[in-house]
Amino acid sequence: MSDEFYIGYHNKCPPTLAQRTRRRVTQLAVLVVGLMSLFAALQTPAEPGVFEYGVGRSFEGVLYERPLPLLRSVSKDGSMTHFLLVGAGKHGLPAFARGHDGQYVRFRGSLIQKDANVMIELNDPNSFTALGPGTIPEESPAQAVIQDITLTGELVDTKCYFGVMRPATGKGHRACAVRCLSGGVPPGLLVRNPEGNPVVLLLTGPRGQSLQVDPEWGARRIRASGRLVWNEDTPRLEIVSLSLADGGGE
Amino acid sequence: MSSTYRAIDWNRQKRLYDLTLLGFLFLGLGTFFAVSLLHSPNATAETLIIRGCAATALMLLHVILCIGPLARLDTSFLPLLYNRRHLGVTMFLLALVHGVFSVAQFHALGDENPLVSVFTAYQRDYRLLDAGRINGAHFPFEPFGVAALGILFLMAATSHDFWLRTLGATFWKTMHLGVYAAYGLILVHVALGFLQSERAYLYPVLLGLGFALVAGLHLLAALQEARLDREQSRLNAEGFTGTCQVDEVVEGCGKVVIARGQRIALFRHQGRLYATSNVCRHQGGPIGEGRIAEGCITCPWHGWNYRPEDGRSPPPFQEVLATFTTRIVGDRVWVNPTANPPGTRCAGGAVTSS
Repeated sequence: MSDEFYIGYHNKCPPTLAQRTRRRVTQLAVLVVGLMSLFAALQTPAEPGVFEYGVGRSFEGVLYERPLPLLRSVSKDGSMTHFLLVGAGKHGLPAFARGHDGQYVRFRGSLIQKDANVMIELNDPNSFTALGPGTIPEESPAQAVIQDITLTGELVDTKCYFGVMRPATGKGHRACAVRCLSGGVPPGLLVRNPEGNPVVLLLTGPRGQSLQVDPEWGARRIRASGRLVWNEDTPRLEIVSLSLADGGGE
Repeated sequence: MSSTYRAIDWNRQKRLYDLTLLGFLFLGLGTFFAVSLLHSPNATAETLIIRGCAATALMLLHVILCIGPLARLDTSFLPLLYNRRHLGVTMFLLALVHGVFSVAQFHALGDENPLVSVFTAYQRDYRLLDAGRINGAHFPFEPFGVAALGILFLMAATSHDFWLRTLGATFWKTMHLGVYAAYGLILVHVALGFLQSERAYLYPVLLGLGFALVAGLHLLAALQEARLDREQSRLNAEGFTGTCQVDEVVEGCGKVVIARGQRIALFRHQGRLYATSNVCRHQGGPIGEGRIAEGCITCPWHGWNYRPEDGRSPPPFQEVLATFTTRIVGDRVWVNPTANPPGTRCAGGAVTSS
């Protein structure tokens, strides 16, 4: 037994005890670095995505409210882009932008992008201007029916998944998915394509109607049956039936 | 508290302790952020803050819970125990950052009050069984974190000695044992939340190892104390109780003995053997594991002082320990296990050289 005795309010720790404490602190530091590295390295890598938070851009084009709110916009080089539209926070198309189906509109918003999926957060009501009936040649985006299909995947809120939150899947994100779906953010079905890459199918009701999805199913695995429609550059599933597919009840 | 009656400020050791703690915070969070950015460069800053603070807080909580039994098993850990409260408050602050960012990230700016949403976002899953199986996969995990944060707040807010004096040592200590409830709630929070999202099998293994370490150290310390208690109880007799050999108590040192089921602290000071209650009036520290410093019994936990002959703290302090009458017969120390009123002066058994 060492004769040294530790008294915290003395200015100096006894020498042998101080040396032993330094050794323990060093060992603890190595342990902390090791465990935190391990903890960080074991995380599932987040998928890429962009949310230009706080950055406002000007957009214009024809606004469609159904089956999902989107802006059909033609760039200077003539290429067509379809932007899904959502509101600020965990909300779908904001009230100030509703009632303008088929009209040519101009507004400022923040871009959200994941691969080919593009979305605009409309967060500046004062910039929203309806300029009259749509002037783009096609009245509405061209559609191609692919097949009737049943798919199983995670029900995601597209705003988070396309770039606002990374990661935006799983139970850790479930409450956010519930709030977003409840607030009107377009729902999506996250599935894997034959190459194993994640793909999100936008979900709507049959014949282009809006889909009423139970928000509490957010971030859970669901089985979706319906008609797969290729909406120009965007896959969409017109839902006939939905059910939980993760072994749980409602 | 000090026998020289100077207020205890941020002395060198305290500053070293807190600087080391700060260094560990930077090291832990810095390592997490750096490795996460390399491994998962697309993760948002909010995600890194939420996860980094959670991981650092959980690791710190394990350290906090291990220090107590470690210091009982090996006194060289006592320097880590001295300012354990600073670890606790720091841990709470990390957990608070985790909680605030999580509520803002996952619940705010929606169609429901975020503080309500924390409890109701998927309220239909508040059920133990789902389709005949335990509902671990879907049961809400957020309320467990909120409850743990509430307990940690209560402890951090009452960590100052003002509250110790105001609430009384027994109530204060009992309340602060709530850290074990908070630990349990946090384990459930992590198991139902993070472990359901992240599938790496090492995560539950690490969490299980942490729990095993905490539980194992507590069990070891309890077993060691039980063994000592049994040895001492064997020596009990009627009235005065034979406790130990005189030379087992070293000059200037303490020893814990058992007499009629209670722990008594023996101290040898200037050729006499004194006995007091083994429970420090400050935080219930084990007085008998302390030493005599500057003429006073000194508690090993926070240096609280008591005079060996009457159990009183030197003026102006007011704390008083119960004393016990001791006798030395032959080379054996006998103690009357009926406590004298606190502060009763005792002559102490005289140690004669044989």
